[in-house]
Amino acid sequence: MRNVVIRLLTMIPLVLLVVSGTFFLSLASNVDPAEIILGGNATQEQIDALRQQLGLDRPALEQYWTWLSGLLQGDLGTSLYTGASVTDLFLAALPVTLSLTAGGLVVGVVLGVGAGLFASVVAGTRLDRGVILLSTMGQAAPSFFVGMLIIYFLALQLGWFPATGYVSPADSFGGWLHSLALPSIALGVGVAAALSRQARSSMITALQQDYTRTALSKGHSRRRVVLKHAGRNAASPVVTSISFQVAQLLGGAIVVERLFALPGLGSLTIDAVLRYDPNIIQAVVLFAVVVIVLVNLLVDVSYVWLNPKVRTT
Amino acid sequence: MSESASDVPRLPAADVAAKGSVRSSRFLGRLLRQRSLLIWGTVVGIIALSAVLAPLLSPFDPDTGVLADSFAPPSTEHWLGADRYGRDVLTRVLYGGQVALLAAVQAVAIALGIGVPAGLAIGYAGGWLDRILMRLVDGVMSVPFLVLAIAVIAALGPGLHNAMAVVGIVYAMSVLRLVRGEVLSAKEELYVDGLKVSGAGGPRILFRHILNNIAPPIIVQATLMFATAIVAEATLSYLGLGVTQPTASWGSMLSEAQATIRQNFFLAVPPGIAIFITVLGINQVGEGLRDLFSREITVGRLGLNVVRKTRPTASEREIFAGEPDQPSALEVRDLSVSFPQAGGQRVQVVQNVDLRLRRGELLCLVGESGSGKSVTAMSMLGLVSHPGVVTASSVRLGDEEISGLDFKAMRSIRGNRIGVVFQDPLASLNPTFTVGNQMCEAIMEHRDVPRREARRLTIDLFERVGIPNPELRLDDYPFQFSGGMAQRVMIAMALSCDPEVLVADEPTTALDVTVQKQILDLLVGLRDERGLSILLITHDLGVVAEVGDTVATMYAGQIVESGPVAEVFAQPRHPYTQGLLDSIPRNVAPAGALPSIRGTVPQPIDWPVGCRFADRCDFATDACRRSPVPLAPTVDPGHSTRCVRVDELRLTGIGDEQSQVVAVLSRASGRDGVA
Repeated sequence: MRNVVIRLLTMIPLVLLVVSGTFFLSLASNVDPAEIILGGNATQEQIDALRQQLGLDRPALEQYWTWLSGLLQGDLGTSLYTGASVTDLFLAALPVTLSLTAGGLVVGVVLGVGAGLFASVVAGTRLDRGVILLSTMGQAAPSFFVGMLIIYFLALQLGWFPATGYVSPADSFGGWLHSLALPSIALGVGVAAALSRQARSSMITALQQDYTRTALSKGHSRRRVVLKHAGRNAASPVVTSISFQVAQLLGGAIVVERLFALPGLGSLTIDAVLRYDPNIIQAVVLFAVVVIVLVNLLVDVSYVWLNPKVRTT
Repeated sequence: MSESASDVPRLPAADVAAKGSVRSSRFLGRLLRQRSLLIWGTVVGIIALSAVLAPLLSPFDPDTGVLADSFAPPSTEHWLGADRYGRDVLTRVLYGGQVALLAAVQAVAIALGIGVPAGLAIGYAGGWLDRILMRLVDGVMSVPFLVLAIAVIAALGPGLHNAMAVVGIVYAMSVLRLVRGEVLSAKEELYVDGLKVSGAGGPRILFRHILNNIAPPIIVQATLMFATAIVAEATLSYLGLGVTQPTASWGSMLSEAQATIRQNFFLAVPPGIAIFITVLGINQVGEGLRDLFSREITVGRLGLNVVRKTRPTASEREIFAGEPDQPSALEVRDLSVSFPQAGGQRVQVVQNVDLRLRRGELLCLVGESGSGKSVTAMSMLGLVSHPGVVTASSVRLGDEEISGLDFKAMRSIRGNRIGVVFQDPLASLNPTFTVGNQMCEAIMEHRDVPRREARRLTIDLFERVGIPNPELRLDDYPFQFSGGMAQRVMIAMALSCDPEVLVADEPTTALDVTVQKQILDLLVGLRDERGLSILLITHDLGVVAEVGDTVATMYAGQIVESGPVAEVFAQPRHPYTQGLLDSIPRNVAPAGALPSIRGTVPQPIDWPVGCRFADRCDFATDACRRSPVPLAPTVDPGHSTRCVRVDELRLTGIGDEQSQVVAVLSRASGRDGVA
């Protein structure tokens, strides 16, 4: 427990570094939000007035300080474009992105680990090569192409799922699952492909170890030998690669949200980029970094559980 | 230059050149065998070429179309049809290829241009600079790269070059890590080698060494990065953050196709397939290169191979004739194990082995490494790994025939009626479970007892095998045990269901000399008090002399001699056994180096037709090499040998009295007699 707290504290400089980097990057930008908001016909006086109103004319460090102290109080600033609170926009979009990421993770882990496990047990056979082929193809197909294919066939042709849109679980739990099914598949295919390779290779390694032979020599069933004895040992590298995949999922969610018109952080971000709204982008970067940091922490905790050597030393 | 450094390159130039050409021709051979690498390389080459030659291949302009052709289906004029604005789709795919390839080249060039020098510099400098910069790298790498790219595009404005520069910088971080790691290990390696890294030539030697080592992984990584860069370009262009309208990019084409997916789905197919095939092809090339550079890894499967029952061979010999009629605990006839060889044929690593372990007896199976003794023991239990095939005309456990039993039936024998102890106890125990868990699991597999009872039985067994404080040690993990204690755990586990037979595969080889003796005493004690029948596999004849009742010598997959220990030691009937005996240290006046058998056991594929030992034997004649030699009984009861000249040779053993031999050997045991 103490270690967890210490880990969390050491993460703070990293988060601060990345977030501050993003902030100064937006300050260094040669795009003037005021010009963009007012459009091409604005006079210089109007622009200057708006700059003053938005606080963009103040020195960089002062702007940074205002932003940072706001951040520490949970205030992410306002959207330059609409004047709405970024915190509100962010919180409205967050459940969508979290649902989608979780859905993609479930699809990826279930499909990927399942396929990898299966391939390891039949290693060297046609079935194994079939799994490898599928995962190679899954890695080569971008999520938006996969998404378009399943929208066309499963939503438009067969009508099994809605093609676009998001249903809140508060309104209808079934509708929520239904609306997330296709986006989760589109997002999860690439993850499944990557995980299946990792799961297959670490299982093959574990199955060749002496302790696996010992477990067999004790007369255990194949299932027990594969799942308990080899599986526990093969889990650590798979968990590590799942944590890498979370970063992939966050990035991929941006694309998939756009494809399925889901009102999540991805859509928020793309709009913010296209109309230049730096506060929103900083909020999203902050969110991404915090998620990654937390996931890494979870992975470290899981090592303790998976590897008794770490636990006892 | 220092002396040691100038010593290094003193190989004759011709020699080096010859070595180089051998290596490169082998490399070429492997390249040609990698058919998929060549095929996919060609595919990628065609895609790249057609993108570059797009203006020559297509008469259309990629960015302007004829509105009359809007949504035109594929035709002889528009092979892949036309889009909403009447632009030729094939032309746009070709030009989109240009965008994708240029973008990927840009990203990979930036990645290598920054990553390689920065990695070399950081790794070489080391110290606090290394630590701080690596933290920074971790920070950059912790942000999902699409999010990072978007943040930068937000600041710099949309545009493909900005976007790909970001992608390149993110990739540079992973290249940097790779190079830095390589520098650190190379520094270590060169230091260990005693090569002087300091002085004028230092960094140069270091960097040349590193660049040689690092070229293969960098090439592979660059290839794979190229593929992901193409996806990144398509993704950014799809989101509207990459190329600007009306420029054709595979990503922007998909984005346009999505807008009209209800009217015309087909428009999504050409750019989608283009991305898919290109990325697939480049990934396959990368994987092929990885295979090319790395040594081939054999893929083994779960070690399960049941013994297939064969009909007794016509030449079956009655080698047990004349032996005292004592009931067998384990009896094997005609056991053979074969593995497939590159090229399709199978090679037998164990051939027609007959073994008989009597009840309450300790039978030693001896031989050098590679003689097939472990495979023999594992094969009876069905523990030979996947491509191996095990056959036997009979494997009898007590009165029961167990050859031909399937996996499920063998489960009730393994761990229950036959216990197994392996060579390396720490590797053989599962590191992720407590020893108590692994013990109870074994007991509960075969006995219908509750866990508490299993724990109690475990404590009793731990006590019997001499583990102090068994109640406390139960919940420890294997790595908390010393080698000797871990082997006691293994023995307790093998005994957990009170088996009739214990197979011990080199149980003392991995242990300290003092511990070896204790483990052997434990085994002998178990034989004496429980009437346990033990098959002990060892290369140490000192061990045989100390604990064995009977001995079987194995060479090149065959039993070459078997008989009672006292008799075989006093009067060996096979030159190989004599060679093994000669190489045991014993207390005679030192006369130079210990004699040893010249040469080593050849690979199974090179085993000769005649006597397999002939090439290493001092007594070999042409007759020995002519035809296979059968295992035949000698004049002594229960003693057989596989030697053509058994009647002519008078081989020397060790002393006449076994007691004397044992006394001598006890002192010698522990030292490597044979290896």
